[in-house]
Amino acid sequence: MFKLIKIAFLGAIGMVFAATAYADFTFVSWGGAYTMSQQKGYIDTWGPVKDGSTKVSVENYNGGLGEVKAQVESGNVTWDVVDILPVDAINGCDEGLLEELDFSSWEKAPNGDSFLDSIPENGTGVSGTISPCAAPQIWWTYVVIFDPKAFPGKKPKRMKDFFDVEKFPGKRGVHTWPQAILEMALVADGVKPNKVNKILQSTGGTDRAFAKLEELKGHVVHWSAGAQPLELVSSGEVVMSIVYNGRAGAAILSEGASFDYIWEGQVLDGDWVAIPKGSKNKAEAIEFLKHATTCASQAEQAKYITYGPMRSCGNDIIKKNEPWFHNGIAVLPHMPTTKKRMKKSVVTDPVWWADHNAELKEQWAAWMAGNK
Amino acid sequence: MNQAAKAEILTTDGIPLKVSLRRAERINKFRAFALVLPLTLFIIITFVIPIIAMLTRSVDDKQINTVFPKTFELYKQWDRKELPTEEMYATMFGEIVNADKRAIGKASTRMNYSKSGWKSLIKKSKRKFKKIKEGPYKEQMIAVDKRWGEIGFWKALGEMADPITFGYFLNAVDLKYDSNKEIIRQPENRRIYNYTWYKTVKISVLVTLFCLILGYPIAYLLATLPLKYSNLLMIFVLLPFWTSLLVRTVSWIIILMKKGVFNSILVWAGIIADENRMQLIYNETGTLIAMTQILLPFMVLPLYAVMKTISPTYMRAALNLGAHPMHAFYRIYMPQTVPGISAGGLLVFVLAIGYFITPELVGGADGQLIGHWIAYHLKSTLNWGLCAALGTILLVVMLALYWVYNKVVGIENIKLG
Repeated sequence: MFKLIKIAFLGAIGMVFAATAYADFTFVSWGGAYTMSQQKGYIDTWGPVKDGSTKVSVENYNGGLGEVKAQVESGNVTWDVVDILPVDAINGCDEGLLEELDFSSWEKAPNGDSFLDSIPENGTGVSGTISPCAAPQIWWTYVVIFDPKAFPGKKPKRMKDFFDVEKFPGKRGVHTWPQAILEMALVADGVKPNKVNKILQSTGGTDRAFAKLEELKGHVVHWSAGAQPLELVSSGEVVMSIVYNGRAGAAILSEGASFDYIWEGQVLDGDWVAIPKGSKNKAEAIEFLKHATTCASQAEQAKYITYGPMRSCGNDIIKKNEPWFHNGIAVLPHMPTTKKRMKKSVVTDPVWWADHNAELKEQWAAWMAGNK
Repeated sequence: MNQAAKAEILTTDGIPLKVSLRRAERINKFRAFALVLPLTLFIIITFVIPIIAMLTRSVDDKQINTVFPKTFELYKQWDRKELPTEEMYATMFGEIVNADKRAIGKASTRMNYSKSGWKSLIKKSKRKFKKIKEGPYKEQMIAVDKRWGEIGFWKALGEMADPITFGYFLNAVDLKYDSNKEIIRQPENRRIYNYTWYKTVKISVLVTLFCLILGYPIAYLLATLPLKYSNLLMIFVLLPFWTSLLVRTVSWIIILMKKGVFNSILVWAGIIADENRMQLIYNETGTLIAMTQILLPFMVLPLYAVMKTISPTYMRAALNLGAHPMHAFYRIYMPQTVPGISAGGLLVFVLAIGYFITPELVGGADGQLIGHWIAYHLKSTLNWGLCAALGTILLVVMLALYWVYNKVVGIENIKLG
């Protein structure tokens, strides 16, 4: 009996070592449906993975630069590609935690646009990448959803309805950090979406947003993990909630949930992919990123999640081939990046947020403490 | 032969016994040392060094001073009433242009803690200053970005002028340095840490208390019931131990939410009306309930271990001599369980004060305890100085508690069984 246990134990250890030795490429992302879309969209379709010469091991993390910084500073970089937010891409590049990329030889768009030119306006006022270290991934948004059954009469349509607890009574679900909610408050206060960043960044802009938020005080349930708001809305804990649009899209398209969106005032933010400085497989990582950012890969990923491809050529493929979602449903009604919806959207300004993140997070925490 | 040599006792091979013994002892000592060496190294590497690193990081402001040494020199002579002189502008210009890219990136992150906006200002300047060939620099710098003409940015340098700073500790309790390095309070809408400290300690104390109230009778039953019942009970205590923390946390959400199990039972039983369902989760109540349940075994096990050693004859003797059961319990039994109460209490409190994931998930806005802020600054703002300061305060609070405990109860009175 003991011998058997011993053999099993040693075998298990051996397998662990074999697996680590075999996994020679580490891709780090957020987990869940999003990582699944990356897996199917461009990891499984990558040449070296298809012919079995390389195994990509996928790890999850919670965002932020903490791990990357620790790895780079200790000289033991175990991640090869990491999926990060714009703020972290900019900061990480500034602090030398990420490798700079030379995009000149990356795939051109079918219409002849260079790689960077095929990424339209992204909120920094210029097209292309936000940082020389960041390759494009997807646009995701903070969007408001509600359960249509909760409003038998008139349904909320605009951002100001989310802030109007008289006309649409009930609790609202809001996340525990200040990003997006401040922009939404300004939209609700009557600012045109394309003017929001300008107003927010001018003197008194954040005060105006917080003043508008006073109207929500006492009517908010705070969530901290992306799956919570869907649960909050479907269980009736709240009548509307801010959610990540991809989560809502997945619930509707794959699980048949019935949510409606309020697209006006949605706040777009990007996800980028980057290589930690000193990656042991830098050359391979660059080849991987080139594959991950082709028009075809960008479109392929949208078969599994409703985040918008950053390269417009990815969008073109989807439009031509609807219904595009993997189970045969049209995906564009749930995509945040159609032309019509983009006009009503705010694109978050990562540079400004990088400057004001800590300060506003503290103000927002103080606001939450008073939300009783 | 002289006197000294005669006095020495020799072993059979002619070496003085003293020397021989010393040699043998040395080998033994060495062997003993070799045995504890791995553990000693382990403790030094995983415990002592990180704590020292944390303590130094909480006051270390060297990095920024190596990037802008001359500017800070000039800052000390500046009157801080009007915009700085051309000389100071020129020095700042030179230090930005000549700085190593990585070093200035780190510096700009640091500067941004003292005033929001420095980060992008430095970054933009580093990019655009290359085009400026010669002075005067003041106007040209302001032309690149008008923030160079705001006195507030220059004054914010004051906080960082010294290589050793207590600024992080001040920030950790809602204070800060002004431009003259005098201590002032943070603006009112940013004061959050004192409130968080208060909330963290309050929740930890309450959770410890609830664990004691709930755990004491369970431990008593465990220690006194016949073996076949107590074993079963023990499994009930240990079962949560073997269940994933996340599963237990999420289960509480399902039980306590508005349309959850608990509220629905109350509605079904007619105790509350359907529209008056209680808000039991995403607030402090939820945090307290979930944390108490999760930390309960840490109270029960030490209590049980101590109670198991208390002989029932003491209680019997007390009752026999005519004491009321309550009185006997209070005077005879409870004092003997103090070591267990102390051990469990400290254990639960220490775990609770640094708790992170459960309050985050079930606490809503109330779930952001001090652990949340440490994680936030560690990951999002990269303000590791503030993290270190928060961590150090946490450590000091624990040590202070330990000291008080030692004075009041005595540390020899702590027992895990």
